[in-house]
Amino acid sequence: MNHNLEVTMAQRPEVVERVLRVVRHRGFTLTHMNMRLGEGSVSLSLSVSSERAIELLSNQLTKLVDVTGCHVLPQPMSQSASA
Amino acid sequence: MRGADAVIKVLAAHGVTTVFGYPGGAIMPIYDALYGSEVEHTLCRHEQGAGFAAVGYARASGKTGVCFATSGPGATNLITALADALLDSVPVVAITGQVSTSVIGTDAFQEIDVLGMSLSCTKHSFMVQSVEELVPTLYRAFELAASGRPGPVLVDIPKDVQIAQLEYRAPLIAVADEPEVRDADIDAARALLAAAKKPMLYVGGGVGMAGATSQLRRFIEATRMPSVATLKGLGTIAHGTPGYLGMLGMHGGKAANLAVQECDLLMVVGARFDDRVTGRLASFAPNAKVLHLDIDAAELGKLRRPDVAIAAELRAVLPRLEMPLDIALWCAEVDALEKAHRWDYNHPGSLIYAPAMLRRLANKLPEDSVVSCDVGQHQMWVAQHMHFRRPEDHLSSAGLGTMGFGLPAAIGAQMARPDATVVAVSGDGSFMMNVQELTTIKRRKLPVKILLIDNQRLGMVKQWQQLFFEERYSETNLSDNPDFVTLASAFDIPGRTIFAAEEVEEALNEMLTCNGPFLLHVAIDDAFNVWPLVPPGASNSDMMEEMERST
Repeated sequence: MNHNLEVTMAQRPEVVERVLRVVRHRGFTLTHMNMRLGEGSVSLSLSVSSERAIELLSNQLTKLVDVTGCHVLPQPMSQSASA
Repeated sequence: MRGADAVIKVLAAHGVTTVFGYPGGAIMPIYDALYGSEVEHTLCRHEQGAGFAAVGYARASGKTGVCFATSGPGATNLITALADALLDSVPVVAITGQVSTSVIGTDAFQEIDVLGMSLSCTKHSFMVQSVEELVPTLYRAFELAASGRPGPVLVDIPKDVQIAQLEYRAPLIAVADEPEVRDADIDAARALLAAAKKPMLYVGGGVGMAGATSQLRRFIEATRMPSVATLKGLGTIAHGTPGYLGMLGMHGGKAANLAVQECDLLMVVGARFDDRVTGRLASFAPNAKVLHLDIDAAELGKLRRPDVAIAAELRAVLPRLEMPLDIALWCAEVDALEKAHRWDYNHPGSLIYAPAMLRRLANKLPEDSVVSCDVGQHQMWVAQHMHFRRPEDHLSSAGLGTMGFGLPAAIGAQMARPDATVVAVSGDGSFMMNVQELTTIKRRKLPVKILLIDNQRLGMVKQWQQLFFEERYSETNLSDNPDFVTLASAFDIPGRTIFAAEEVEEALNEMLTCNGPFLLHVAIDDAFNVWPLVPPGASNSDMMEEMERST
């Protein structure tokens, strides 16, 4: 199952590492990523795939101290139909 | 003042009176600031010992434990204790020295990327990059370690930041709001409780960590709900509470596991469906609806879908769920289960039967006492056969299962509670993993009692080899152990060895009434295993019963 997430974070040197570590460790494969640097913040668009429920990842990302927002984007119709 | 002086000042401002650590090159300015300061430092003889002492201090006192280590090997040696604190949600602040910012990334002497290493084994971590950040970062570290679901926080401080000058100002720290509880969730939870005919309460370490032990006990009084506890939850429910069946799970009591398997509502409080608790998850409490309360929203639905889940402070939620329940028939059924599966301490013969000895010890311990366990068979016997007045009185490496935890954690507990009787219960395998901390006991003249249960085996692994690996005893024979009483004597710790059941009573008395530290070395037969046992992959209803190999 593929999912897209939007994650916003406080700008710290290691913050992307933190997010990517959680993605890997919680059983998700990163398939695409785009990072944007803002004023003191960082935004990440992530595409991930896994057999596991996406909440298992989004809840863990939300828990990270430097993560200020984590949103799972709604599934496009074609993907949810094939799931 | 120097950054290093500010570190000590922040500790004092947070009420820290005791720090555990080990000096080295990159943390020398902080040790210089410590010299003659109001903060007392306990030198351990390995950074892992310092880390576990901080964990023991925190768990026995409910305060945040603090430890120091230098860069490189000092920091890597701390990591295991931080991982232990992460899995058991223990508030610890670890401060490590780092090489100067100008040489970070050049593979300088004793340089390792500690921040990178910390990512997977702390709740959060910082590397202070300028002296202006230092004080606010330390304040934030203390706030994070103790708030919400507690955990370890590491602050890595480069040496140039430690010697840079700053003007000390206490920062204003925004404290995170407690999560709000919606009335609708309380109503839904109460409806589940009212509808349940066979409810069971499954209590984890989160209740004690939240300071909600008295609220939980009042909830049990109001509802009369039968209960079980996890390894970390032991001590939360008072010994002798009607319907309390002790520990559940892989080495839980039979009544505890059977009652949970049969219940129609599982009320999970401050616990997380650990695999050592659930056995085969798909058949754990198969007919039960689940009401899950925890401060950490990420635990809700992680392994078992709840019917109602509330992420909140347990102190606030539990009183709102108090209600009388119409469950007299179920309580009688649980009572019958409890009576049918009581522990049997009748063990004829001259050999020392460790479960009976531990039960005897539990009955002897004074009101203010702490038992600090190592990891292995003796740890499970302690959990099964001892009882504790409060969760702070039982220290055990539950989530990480770290051998070597017991002795340094006992040191931390004794520093936190100098008047308490602190007993480190260890095994011959675990004891050797942080045996250097005997020096810390000697140095600080701590009256720690050590009960060393010795079967000359790496017992739990041996048990599994016996049961599941066709008795192929690969590297679990420890019969070349040192003479433990002689070893202790080298640290000015008196001790004795006992071999026979008839010696137990008098030896326990000698250990407990001795003024200073004491090592009671207890030789037991390696045929004794931990029973019952839920085999790997099995349901908790399919427990293996005692089948001891005769020797």
